[in-house]
Amino acid sequence: MNIRDHLPAFLVMLPLLGAFLTPAVGSLGKVIRNGFYILFSFLTLLTSLSIGCAVFWGNPMVYVMGGDSFALTLPSGMSYPVRILFEIDAFGALFAICIAIASFAGALFSIAYMDKFSGWKKYLALYFMLTAGALGMCATGDLFNFFVFVEISSIASFGLVAFWRDKPEAIEASFKYMLVSQIAAMLLLIGIGSLYGKYNSVTMAALSSMMRDGYLERVVIALIFCVLAFKCGAFPMHTWMPDAYAEAPTGVTCLLVTVSQASFYGLIRVCYSIFPRIATGGVVGWVLIVIGCMSMFFGVMMAVVQHEIKRLMGYHSISQVGYMLLALGVGLVALGDQKDMIDYGYTAMKGGLFHAANYSIYKALLFLCAGSLYYATGTRNLDKMGGLARNMPWTTGMFVIAAAAISGLPPFNGFVSKWMIYESSFAIHPILPAIAMVTSVLTLASFAKVFQAAFLGPAKADFVAVREAPGFMLAGMAVLTVATLLLTLFPSWFTSNIFEKAAVALADNAAYVRAVMGGI
Amino acid sequence: MTDSIVSALDTLGNSAYVVVALLILMALYTMLTQKNLIKICVSIAILGSSVNMFLVLLGYRDGGEIPIYFLQGENQAMVLPTPQCLTLTAIVIALATTALMLSLIILLHKHYGTLDIDEIRRLRG
Amino acid sequence: MWSQLNSGAGYWNVFIWIIFFAGISCFVVWIRSFGRMDYKRNTDQDEIYWEGNEVPDDGASISVPASSSYWGFRVAMEPLYRLLDKFHSGSGSDYAGYFVVTVALVGLLILIGGK
Repeated sequence: MNIRDHLPAFLVMLPLLGAFLTPAVGSLGKVIRNGFYILFSFLTLLTSLSIGCAVFWGNPMVYVMGGDSFALTLPSGMSYPVRILFEIDAFGALFAICIAIASFAGALFSIAYMDKFSGWKKYLALYFMLTAGALGMCATGDLFNFFVFVEISSIASFGLVAFWRDKPEAIEASFKYMLVSQIAAMLLLIGIGSLYGKYNSVTMAALSSMMRDGYLERVVIALIFCVLAFKCGAFPMHTWMPDAYAEAPTGVTCLLVTVSQASFYGLIRVCYSIFPRIATGGVVGWVLIVIGCMSMFFGVMMAVVQHEIKRLMGYHSISQVGYMLLALGVGLVALGDQKDMIDYGYTAMKGGLFHAANYSIYKALLFLCAGSLYYATGTRNLDKMGGLARNMPWTTGMFVIAAAAISGLPPFNGFVSKWMIYESSFAIHPILPAIAMVTSVLTLASFAKVFQAAFLGPAKADFVAVREAPGFMLAGMAVLTVATLLLTLFPSWFTSNIFEKAAVALADNAAYVRAVMGGI
Repeated sequence: MTDSIVSALDTLGNSAYVVVALLILMALYTMLTQKNLIKICVSIAILGSSVNMFLVLLGYRDGGEIPIYFLQGENQAMVLPTPQCLTLTAIVIALATTALMLSLIILLHKHYGTLDIDEIRRLRG
Repeated sequence: MWSQLNSGAGYWNVFIWIIFFAGISCFVVWIRSFGRMDYKRNTDQDEIYWEGNEVPDDGASISVPASSSYWGFRVAMEPLYRLLDKFHSGSGSDYAGYFVVTVALVGLLILIGGK
């Protein structure tokens, strides 16, 4: 085995190693600590990119911990599927790359942003834990392991949301998130346990090949569905999201966005790959569509009237997740019917995955811009800001790009993915693209408000001495801006080489099973 | 003593699962109706324990033994150790979250001076 | 890499838009060239006109705060916003309740609906 075969293990191992080396490295001085922080984030990014190269232009990667085959064969000839395995196909690799990019940008940003605060060791360790948890969710091929990674990322994010523990709001946000999250985690465990009880396995591919339709399976899919929808912030369960996003340190918020993306990955993986016999063409797809529409509309309605910048963006996250749920729901309704798939199903899935990549990049950029404003002015209240474009030209420029992209203004990437979602959801019902377009208009309206309130207008006396954010913060934002511009300029290349492959990998459940189980 | 418990379980059949369901409902009921943060934390711990009990029950096999023989033993009914492993992991995770939750409650009490969940609502709207 | 993106019903090409924006920018520059350069600097001619009054030094006293924008929208949607504000009550047990109710509803739907 050469090093290439071990890449999936490195994907989780590198951030975990970073987390546990932190207490030692953190006391060696500022320069070494910062170098260590950037180095490990960058190595994680490189690993995810090389996994992407191997998977997009090759076969899915399967990595079994401590063995060659995932089943343990006894001398008597019986074989038990007991080993833990990682399985990364094009769909998982896409999300892993998004997470690693956001983690790298957040690391660059945090170096300057957190410079004047203490508690670096804890911050760094939790940051790497959060990255490891989110990457593990995208890499694992085992449901119980998935639960463990969900919990790793949850516990790390509780700690990071409450990082500024002198602020009552931060503790409150963390507690509310934790309360619902713990109920959710236990329900997820009940679901996984029930599947184990019936099918004697927690390996996703093995479960998928054995899955039948039945009442137990329906209850289980409902449990897992709701838990992961809660984690990615779908409508009736979204209330933790603006609280947590607003109160976490900004470098972390950028990573929390991608953790919700990892939960979205899990949700879609469960619906498409583990329960295709129940979810395809049935109620599950419609539930996804309805929840998606509600998240889009109510999320943006709440965002329009907010006047605290990070809270406003937190509500926008809900409406953006709604777009992806809608698109993948349309794909799920079409899945199973070959003609529908070719007519609009693949377009919907490609659009949804494109939007997921876009969302995690421009949303992270927007949060970093908000953090840069907070760093410069010391307030998150839009009522108090004003006229900052003169003092902070770089932040302004990058904010404009990100805001235009999230509002779906052509020629930016946000428009392309939204356009694919409009066209494909129109085939199901015309009301769906109508809701999506109203949402898009309201998104533009609220970002016009943010732009007008924070950057335009006369200079305020309090902010005459405000200076541009330091270099490392701008570097973190620049990484995401470059990614946004690349997605803007080459949408056809990204679509045909990445999103289409991811959509095909997702729709082709048999290939997912075959990669682990061999020729069944 | 052990034999009598096993035979009692046999006669009860699946009723152990009923206990699990009752515990889960109890925990959910407490969580939704109680206003005291400590009581809510206790209810989450109960929920965690009932789920662990569920996992252990899944691995229960009547008359089964631990599969640690090198040679073929006389008892052929073996218990697959996976559910126990799952339970151990779940217990560790539940411990971590309960500890973190209690520490957050301490901080909340310091900041807000109350343990009533309805008074800790600065973030809304 | 440079080709356009087809969706089955239409196509998207970013470079058409970039050419379009380049054209618009040329137009804007052309219109801007009509502006007069011969105004008198440092006189009343380059003062901001603000209803004939003196412009205050601090911008805070003449800018519209963010929470006042879209006031009409908020008033028109008042019933919906009253509901939404009640929904985002801030109480942790309410949020747990929403989660449990959603699980029950989705579970019921999938259990009955199935395929």
